[in-house]
Amino acid sequence: MSGEPITAVSSDPADALAAVAALRRLADRVEDAAVEQAMRAGWSWPQVAEALGVTRQAVHKKHAKRLIAAGVVLRRRDDDHVR
Amino acid sequence: MTTFGKYLHAVLEQGREEARQDGSAAVEAEHLLLGVAAGPRAVPREVLAEAGLDHRVIREFEHSLNAAGASAAAFDLPRPSANPDRPRRLAASARLAIERGATSAPKKDLQPAHVLLGILRADVGTVPRALALAGIDRAGLAERTRRALA
Repeated sequence: MSGEPITAVSSDPADALAAVAALRRLADRVEDAAVEQAMRAGWSWPQVAEALGVTRQAVHKKHAKRLIAAGVVLRRRDDDHVR
Repeated sequence: MTTFGKYLHAVLEQGREEARQDGSAAVEAEHLLLGVAAGPRAVPREVLAEAGLDHRVIREFEHSLNAAGASAAAFDLPRPSANPDRPRRLAASARLAIERGATSAPKKDLQPAHVLLGILRADVGTVPRALALAGIDRAGLAERTRRALA
């Protein structure tokens, strides 16, 4: 993978469409990594959801199983009130 | 189950594992291609191997596609943990590949090679771009696959 910045220099729609597909894949991958890092750092689901601009249910549904399997200690909802 | 059915099932299972390792929420056509390369010892795998396409090579050029103008390296984050479960959902690209394979011959004549033919039939998308980037002649590969039909 190259570290090239996003520069749309091609006028070929095939290149542009492929870039869209690659960017979607990249966004998914960065989301997986970023949510995992946030949860490892002690963020709560509502915080992560708000930062991503999605509902808590959506982010939980998408990531909880994977993070639990990875052994990430997830904060319980009550913890928010204790802080 | 027919030979074709059993083979397709095995490729799908392997494709789901490839998608899981990829952190993908759905099985894409490129995961099916990887599934053929890593799947059952059969004609399609031999055709790919003869063209120099083993599992490792396909993985590499698939990754090189991420270089389409953006990189995860821009974010200094550790690699995310993989999902414990294999995805069940087939992406549109995988569904098209299977449909093309399954309709490329009368039902009773379907063979494992038709699965690969269906994957190779896509003119646009990740698979043809990846093959082109790797310098593989897709039409030639499809022709060799067709000739390998018993």
